[in-house]
Amino acid sequence: MQQREEKQLEASVESLTSRVSLVQNALQSFINKLENEYERLAWPSVLDNFALLSGQLNSINKLLKNEKTPSFRSQVIIPLLLSPDRDEDLAKLTEMRVPVFSHEIVPDYLRTKPDPEVEEQEKQLSAEAARIGPEVAQKQIQALNKMCSSLLEKLNNPREERDSDSTARQNKQSFNPADTNLLVSAIAFGKGLSKCRPPCPVPPGHSGQGPMMSGGPTLQQVTIGGKMPSSIKTNIKSASASMHPYNR
Amino acid sequence: MEAPPVTVMPVTGGTINMMEYLLQGSVLDQGLESLLHRLRGLCDNLEPETFKDHELVYFLKGQQGSPFILRARRSLSHPNAPWHVRYLGQPELGDKSRHALVRNCVDVSASHSLPEFLNEMGFRMDHEFVTSGRIFRKGAMKIVVGSVSRMLVPGNTENVEQISLSSLIELSILAPAGQDTVSEDMRSFAEQLRPLIHLDKVDPAKQRH
Repeated sequence: MQQREEKQLEASVESLTSRVSLVQNALQSFINKLENEYERLAWPSVLDNFALLSGQLNSINKLLKNEKTPSFRSQVIIPLLLSPDRDEDLAKLTEMRVPVFSHEIVPDYLRTKPDPEVEEQEKQLSAEAARIGPEVAQKQIQALNKMCSSLLEKLNNPREERDSDSTARQNKQSFNPADTNLLVSAIAFGKGLSKCRPPCPVPPGHSGQGPMMSGGPTLQQVTIGGKMPSSIKTNIKSASASMHPYNR
Repeated sequence: MEAPPVTVMPVTGGTINMMEYLLQGSVLDQGLESLLHRLRGLCDNLEPETFKDHELVYFLKGQQGSPFILRARRSLSHPNAPWHVRYLGQPELGDKSRHALVRNCVDVSASHSLPEFLNEMGFRMDHEFVTSGRIFRKGAMKIVVGSVSRMLVPGNTENVEQISLSSLIELSILAPAGQDTVSEDMRSFAEQLRPLIHLDKVDPAKQRH
């Protein structure tokens, strides 16, 4: 039983270290890119790097929440041997970050409590909290909740406003086809423009009148011409009529 | 609003076979600033030329048919510049494969006695208007954005009234006949101005009545 648990712990620690090293590598390459290739680094590739990091952190989170993973919190680490000498193996394991396992650094690395300063601050805060009466505390909680919700609303609303803004801009016409037609016909043949100035004898809006006018007399002539034959006919008739008596 | 009163294309040795490829549109006054901003970004000249022109349209009426039309233009901002006479042929809409309206176009510079000369020839002024705005250029393309105003008192270019709340936009290229490929450039340029404005082939004959 205990052996199985131990195996499980070992396996999960191994997978955890491998995942952490993946994050480490990704971070290193990203920092390297930021420092050396910032001139040609495109925003999409920065986003890609962020996505990679967030994916890896997510998978670590999943691993820690997994049921099969034993609770690391319940594991106890006890420093068995402290030495002021340099430990090459340790240095290699920690990539030269922790060269000695001494009295000086062990309390820092194996600390499970918050930092002393943080501890001090926490103490102050809890003292202050104890000083305030429950009613006042309730009021403050309500005020904070109110503030948070209004802030959330403000953060969410701009998106809506922005969206509605852009759709409004799309819907708002910046041109009017009827105006296009009006302007085109105005410059093409003077529609809607004040036509004609005094020296111009042709009344407005009758571009076709010139030919009509000149056509007028010809029409008249035609009608006269039409009448003429009839009068000739009657003349002939009357002539023939007047001639009949002679023939008779 | 065809062109400023400067010789755009001098007629040399009977080169009158120039065609004007034209797309027209309009922009409401509230959209004008954003359009100008976009044009500044798209065009060659960062600061567009401004113009204020007076155009007089002369008709020569024959015995029948439609009158012969000449357009005389003078710059109000440069009174000493030569006048400009323009003949425009019948616009051809063409089919869908041609993206711009095409019309024959002859541009000539003229002296300041042009109105008297035209009158002596029998031309009579039919209408006149004042147009002012800006000219952008991109390669061979010319983009004219301007307002059209009617003249309240004939002959008085000071007393004018804008006929519409929109400005007229004309995108044009002068090219020898048959070079329909230029209309492709115009179409793609017009696409870049969407949805701010919509430049299209506008057949004036359809709006006549």
